[in-house]
Amino acid sequence: MAKPTDLIQGTLDMLILKTLALGSMHGWGISQRIQQVSEDVLVINQGSLYPALYRLEQQGLIKSEWGSSDNNRQAKFYELTRTGKKQLTEETENWERLSAAVDRILQTT
Amino acid sequence: MFRRFSSYVRALLHKDKAERDMDQELQFHLEMEIEANVKRGMSFQEARREALIKFGGVEKFKEECRDVRGAPLVESLLQDVRYGARILLRNPGFTLVAVFTLALGIGANTAIFSVIYGVLMKPLPYRDGNQLVIVQQQAPLARIDNVPFSYKEVVDYREQNQTLQDVVEHHTMSFTLLGGQEPQRVQTGVVSANFFDVLGVKPLLGRTFVESDEAHGSDAVLVLSYQYWKGSHGGDPEIVGKVFQMNNRPHTVVGVLPPIPQYPNEQDVYMPTVNCPARSSEQFKANRNARMMSVFGRLKPDVPVAQAQADLSTLASNLQNQYPDSYPANRGYAASVVSLQEELTRRARPTFLILLGTAGLVLLIACANVANLTLARLMRREREMAIRAAMGAGRGRLIRQLLTESTLLSVAGGVLGLLLAAGGLQLLVGFAARFTTRASEIKIDGSVLVFTLLISIATGLIFGLMPAFSSDQHLSGALKESGGRSSAGVRRQRVRNMLIVAQVSVSFILLIWAGLMLRSLIKLQQVNPGFDPERVLAMRISPNWSKVNTPEQTRSLFTRILDKARSEPGVLSAAISSTYPLNQLGITSGPFNRGFQIEGKPIPEGELAPQADFRTASTDYFETVRQPLVQGRTFTDADNEKAVQVAVINQATARHRWGDEDPTGRRITLDRGQTWLTVVGIVGDVRTYGLDREPADEIYVPLAQGGFGGNLLVRTAADPMSVAKLTRESVYEVDPDTAVDRVQTLEQVRSDAVASPRLTAILLAMFAGLALVITAAGIAGVMALSVNQRTHELGVRLALGATPGKVLGMVMRQGMSFVLVGLTVGVAGALMLGRLMSSLLFAVEPTDPITFLAVALVLMVVAAAACFVPARRVTSIDPMLALRSE
Repeated sequence: MAKPTDLIQGTLDMLILKTLALGSMHGWGISQRIQQVSEDVLVINQGSLYPALYRLEQQGLIKSEWGSSDNNRQAKFYELTRTGKKQLTEETENWERLSAAVDRILQTT
Repeated sequence: MFRRFSSYVRALLHKDKAERDMDQELQFHLEMEIEANVKRGMSFQEARREALIKFGGVEKFKEECRDVRGAPLVESLLQDVRYGARILLRNPGFTLVAVFTLALGIGANTAIFSVIYGVLMKPLPYRDGNQLVIVQQQAPLARIDNVPFSYKEVVDYREQNQTLQDVVEHHTMSFTLLGGQEPQRVQTGVVSANFFDVLGVKPLLGRTFVESDEAHGSDAVLVLSYQYWKGSHGGDPEIVGKVFQMNNRPHTVVGVLPPIPQYPNEQDVYMPTVNCPARSSEQFKANRNARMMSVFGRLKPDVPVAQAQADLSTLASNLQNQYPDSYPANRGYAASVVSLQEELTRRARPTFLILLGTAGLVLLIACANVANLTLARLMRREREMAIRAAMGAGRGRLIRQLLTESTLLSVAGGVLGLLLAAGGLQLLVGFAARFTTRASEIKIDGSVLVFTLLISIATGLIFGLMPAFSSDQHLSGALKESGGRSSAGVRRQRVRNMLIVAQVSVSFILLIWAGLMLRSLIKLQQVNPGFDPERVLAMRISPNWSKVNTPEQTRSLFTRILDKARSEPGVLSAAISSTYPLNQLGITSGPFNRGFQIEGKPIPEGELAPQADFRTASTDYFETVRQPLVQGRTFTDADNEKAVQVAVINQATARHRWGDEDPTGRRITLDRGQTWLTVVGIVGDVRTYGLDREPADEIYVPLAQGGFGGNLLVRTAADPMSVAKLTRESVYEVDPDTAVDRVQTLEQVRSDAVASPRLTAILLAMFAGLALVITAAGIAGVMALSVNQRTHELGVRLALGATPGKVLGMVMRQGMSFVLVGLTVGVAGALMLGRLMSSLLFAVEPTDPITFLAVALVLMVVAAAACFVPARRVTSIDPMLALRSE
């Protein structure tokens, strides 16, 4: 397995927000989802995931609630707040601009 | 913002719940991971192992989560405090030494600060004290800084100024108060009726003066000062309404003042101007040149002192143009405005600031010492720190932990220091009273407590940061090696050596200050005062002037008192004089200078007449104080009111005014030639107005020809205090209305004259001694640790054939090299900072080589001893044991 690419600083937050935009999810679910969607390119370490979740919650971009998981266990579910949605839109735009710019540079021969 | 705050609070309140939530969440994550692994076909054991590995260091990121979650500051601070307190209590030796060292440093600063705050910084206890000013007149060309005001001048300044709300006057008189057990001489402040209103002073009892008190023919009233009321009337709560006889009139007490600093001097009682016989006479009021009052004013709101100064300067030059006779051009004339607060504390400022600096430096040394101790301890805690770091504590978090510990120490030191300061405060109040009337305001109040708290915390941060930042980042190294010998250990040793250099240099500066002050004091005490204070008793006598009011009556009273005093057993001689050498009142008021003219030497137009201090002395005065006769004769009983008027001058006058000529037989005049005095003798110079002042030019006239003298002096065969009671009673026997006070021996007077430099020297010496002890302890500590750590190396040296003496020499040399560096830095510092001291020194240069040599020697010896004690252990090292100890 190839070594997962290190995430650009701040990108993790955006990925979490994006993942949660699809619906509320628990921490493990978020990491699985990102891994799956990125086809194992991005592996989110728990050591980065939870501090990031706590930080986002602290910033009021997401909120959490205890609920039961698919297999009927108590799990903490996170969902986007309204500010979180706004933040996501902004960050997505930023990211698209940035990646387009990087693309252009890389494709210039 | 609010959410952040509420999350803090929530996190704090529900700390356990938050922890549980986090555990549960992570647990869930782990289980899901295991499940997923099992689904992929692993055995449960394998799945669990794999999951745990993937999970990584749980504690580390739990800590990160905690940090992010909020309230890390408050919560972890509490945790740090708990942990720190535990650590400190587990090392009682270290804790005790550190707390005590800090307590001394912080205590010294608290005490000095409470003095500085009470005297220099606290607003005056008057309403809007910063608006109060003192107005002064000067004759700059005659070099007189403070010319009193005449009545007409007070009126002019009151009416013509633009910048003052009000102008009030004040002068001091000394009256005899009858009606108590003995006649009592009371220092009386004679003031405008609205004086206390302008100052904004509310009475403690009764009332202060009102306008009607100042109307002519109104009843005479008195207001007592707090100190006098407490001291002489036992704080009698029924005092208001009591009637005393003063100046042959009944005076009713109408009020008592609160304890406030008084200026220019402490008064016993106050009376309105109309009741002062001198001040209320029409003749006095009409004479623009009859000057005796001082003047206070209150600035109009928002008027700066500079503006008032400009205003009064204009006023002064107008007056000078209007009345050229009263303000002769050759004396010059100016008026100045000084803030009352500044004036009250002018004398105290340099000494107090030096003391504050000293206390600050002592604290710095104490800080360095505790930092040193902490470093030494940190070397032993290397492993603990490494483990904590491995468990997820960030570098910042570790530093915070160390800072919490140091702050705990310093706050404990602060509390103890506060107690020390409270204990020593009374001493300092007595000390401060020698410089300012504000001394009674010194106390440990809220501001001082805040200062102590701030300085404690600052101290903790300062000595905590030093060790904290030398903390190591290379965890693995720290974990592997045994703490003391890691690379961090070497760096810390360097920091510790630098601390020693700093301590030695600061100690050197403090010792130099103390040394200079001490040298100055010794010089002062070696000054020949020009008289013999041994076995002489002095007392102030104040006849009731309303009964004794002709020259004949005065002469007769003085003669009877002298005869009676001489007849007492044990009295060798007795004299009455206007003042005596080193009399505290004389030192305060300065020489009573008058202009005179020498016969045949007319004073050129526009020049100032020669000035001399005019004194009266009865026949035996020079014999009584043993002021030597240099030439001619002193007074005899024949020099009475009917004889030719004579004078005796001192050597300074002869030198300054006659040069090589012989003054005896020459004549001088005080009244532009109306009467002439023949100089009959020259006496030796006396340091009348302070041992540190050059002898003034003095001219003595016989009491019988000069009128008045207020002090009785008796030389006794035995201890002068033994005849004090007798002499006092003999005065009452001669005249029951004559008040006697200020009974003291000239020995006491002389010792009083050097009391403030002596106290300053003692305080500085105490601080310097403290610094020396702390520094010595610091040096010994560093040496002990260094020897301890080098046991192995020293053992190798011994095993290879070095003699114990040689090894000892080497260790000592290395230790002393830091002391020498510190000493060099200290010399440079002392040379730079010595100038601060120069205003406190007498006949000693701030660069005095003897002091520098002596202090360097003392410091070297103490440092060598401090090095030697731990270094001696070197000789007892057994090479074999040392080598095996690895």
